[in-house]
Amino acid sequence: MGYAAARGGLEAILAAEELMRAKRDGGSSPPLEVGQVTERLNLAVDRVMGEAGLWAPDLAARALRQAEGDVIEAAHLLRAYRSTRPRLATGLVTDPGELEVLRRIVPAYRVPPGPQLLGRTLDYVGRLLDDGTPGREPQGLPASGPEANGAGVNGAAADGAGDGQGEARHPARLLELLRAQGMIRDRRRDDDPEPYDVTRDPVRPGAPRSARLSVMARAETGALVNLWYRNILGPDGYIHEITLGEVRHGRLPVRVTHPVTGQPVRVGSVRVTEVEAIEDLDGPDEDRGLFDVGYGMCLGHNERKAIAMANLDIAVERDGGRSPLEQNVLMTTDGLDASGFLEHLKLPHYVTFRSMADRKAAVRAAARAARQEAEAAR
Amino acid sequence: MTVAALAASAGAGEFGHLDEQSKREIRCALLTAVAVPGYQVPFASREMPVARGWGSGGLQVTLAVIGPQDTVKVIDQGDDAGVNAANLRRLIVGCTNVPDTTDAREASIIQTRHRIPEEPLRADQTLVLQVPVPEPLRGVERDMRELRRMHAESDYSRIWVSLYEDLVRNGVITQSTGYPVLVGGRYVMATSPIPRWDVPKLHQAPFLSLFGAGREKRVYAVPPHTSVEPLAFEDVAFQVERTEGASCLLCGAAEAYLVEVPDRKGWICSDTDWCERRRTPGDDAGETGRAGAELAGAGGSARDAADG
Repeated sequence: MGYAAARGGLEAILAAEELMRAKRDGGSSPPLEVGQVTERLNLAVDRVMGEAGLWAPDLAARALRQAEGDVIEAAHLLRAYRSTRPRLATGLVTDPGELEVLRRIVPAYRVPPGPQLLGRTLDYVGRLLDDGTPGREPQGLPASGPEANGAGVNGAAADGAGDGQGEARHPARLLELLRAQGMIRDRRRDDDPEPYDVTRDPVRPGAPRSARLSVMARAETGALVNLWYRNILGPDGYIHEITLGEVRHGRLPVRVTHPVTGQPVRVGSVRVTEVEAIEDLDGPDEDRGLFDVGYGMCLGHNERKAIAMANLDIAVERDGGRSPLEQNVLMTTDGLDASGFLEHLKLPHYVTFRSMADRKAAVRAAARAARQEAEAAR
Repeated sequence: MTVAALAASAGAGEFGHLDEQSKREIRCALLTAVAVPGYQVPFASREMPVARGWGSGGLQVTLAVIGPQDTVKVIDQGDDAGVNAANLRRLIVGCTNVPDTTDAREASIIQTRHRIPEEPLRADQTLVLQVPVPEPLRGVERDMRELRRMHAESDYSRIWVSLYEDLVRNGVITQSTGYPVLVGGRYVMATSPIPRWDVPKLHQAPFLSLFGAGREKRVYAVPPHTSVEPLAFEDVAFQVERTEGASCLLCGAAEAYLVEVPDRKGWICSDTDWCERRRTPGDDAGETGRAGAELAGAGGSARDAADG
């Protein structure tokens, strides 16, 4: 066995790999530690986990480091790793009500059921570049678990926050209030269908809602944001702006059935961002007296993704297959698919190009023959 | 029971990179594909160590069907030494330890992008084609639900009309590679994008062809001895690529798929293995020349091109 028979290509790619490694692992600064990536670049780590569809902070940090900060490349590394792992168990259904919130805001109400919990967010932090000015540079802080201490607003302080117990950490939902008022179109179902597993069954339009939500949960953030925005300012316009009912970031327990005892057992928790979007039903065939709800949830802290997702969820629901929106959501938002295919254009294409050139010559020859025929007939 | 014991019972990536569950699933899809020639069978499509669009479908097919007794050949554009072929070969050999070859006659599995070898393949060989776009009707219909209906009902009128319109507007049918074919008289199929030159090789072929589209999550197949007819009109014959007077600068072949070398104002075979063997004494007629080796080489190294 050996590669000796094939010339050129292998040496070139080995050299390219070496160049990548030399620049990434060389240089004058100390090597990047995994812990630094998970702590200091936690939003990038969250994004990689979300787009990979795998909760594994340390592996995501390693992937991000290996990919030199390229989020899609890192998500690819993580997903390709996941392909080699067998599926040993399936998580049991978890009620999102179990979400232990680190942050929770309800833009639709000034005083909603439960607290407005601003938590950790950049939303109201001045975007002033750390340009090295004293006071703007990161400083070492005593470890205080800042993530656990949500800052209360509207007077609803995060009491009892540390132990993850109590109403402040498991607030009631605005949706429950609106449902109680009869304001929400009720699409809840009585049966309990198995969720569609997009990693085991390829999706295509007409897929159930669980497939749509799974696809979007793994989608590239930018793709969802763009799909949403082209409906706002672009030519599509299938959706309009919703009002956010819930924006939550928090921890959700993961349980599986114990293989020996058969009992549910908690194996860990994941952080997720969850969004409920209140939609104003205004179509001619819709009940103008009701609101409807779109849902978004993704791994990690990524609010723009979850918001776009919730908006697109209800938009696809209302569209009912009339427009290409569902196909766009299901088929065009995966970061690995889109980027991989785009970048494959760098591969050699000289066999296909030669075939195209052959057809160009054939078209010109046919035109020439037709001209000569016409001239001869004159 | 430990997690490690559970993982071991599932055969995690011991041979062929993928775990056994995944390989089984791909094989199931391939069996369906063989049973329904030309039909695009959905499959889950794992993320592979190569990006989507870079042969991830072909790679999954190869890894699902390969065994320790196999010998593998990987080509891209007909070239064993192309960077993508070298990379895929490295992955396949690295996770299976099977021997690799460039000689099309020695290989039991040939994974390819954009070409079918010039060497006639035998019944004991399997061709695995990497497919970027498996849907032959996408040019005439974008909606996936409608596409399913069209295939289900054999409603291929619109692709026939598009070929007719092409002919009327341009004087010839301008479809270049990936020419649509009717398989087994039933399904219209995209011929990956192999050149038209290679399309007749699929018709009533003694070998099995498996097509893998990883990004679009489809596999399909042409089993041995299946009719594969390019869509063409009774009075307008299907045409393969041909340039008057062109022949290979290296081996002199005129009856081969040739690609242009503008610097030398000439052509060379895209199938490097076949071309080389034609130049090897005692193999086929011809002789090996230094100039030939240089021309057939894979070109500059990455080191020359990198920014350092």
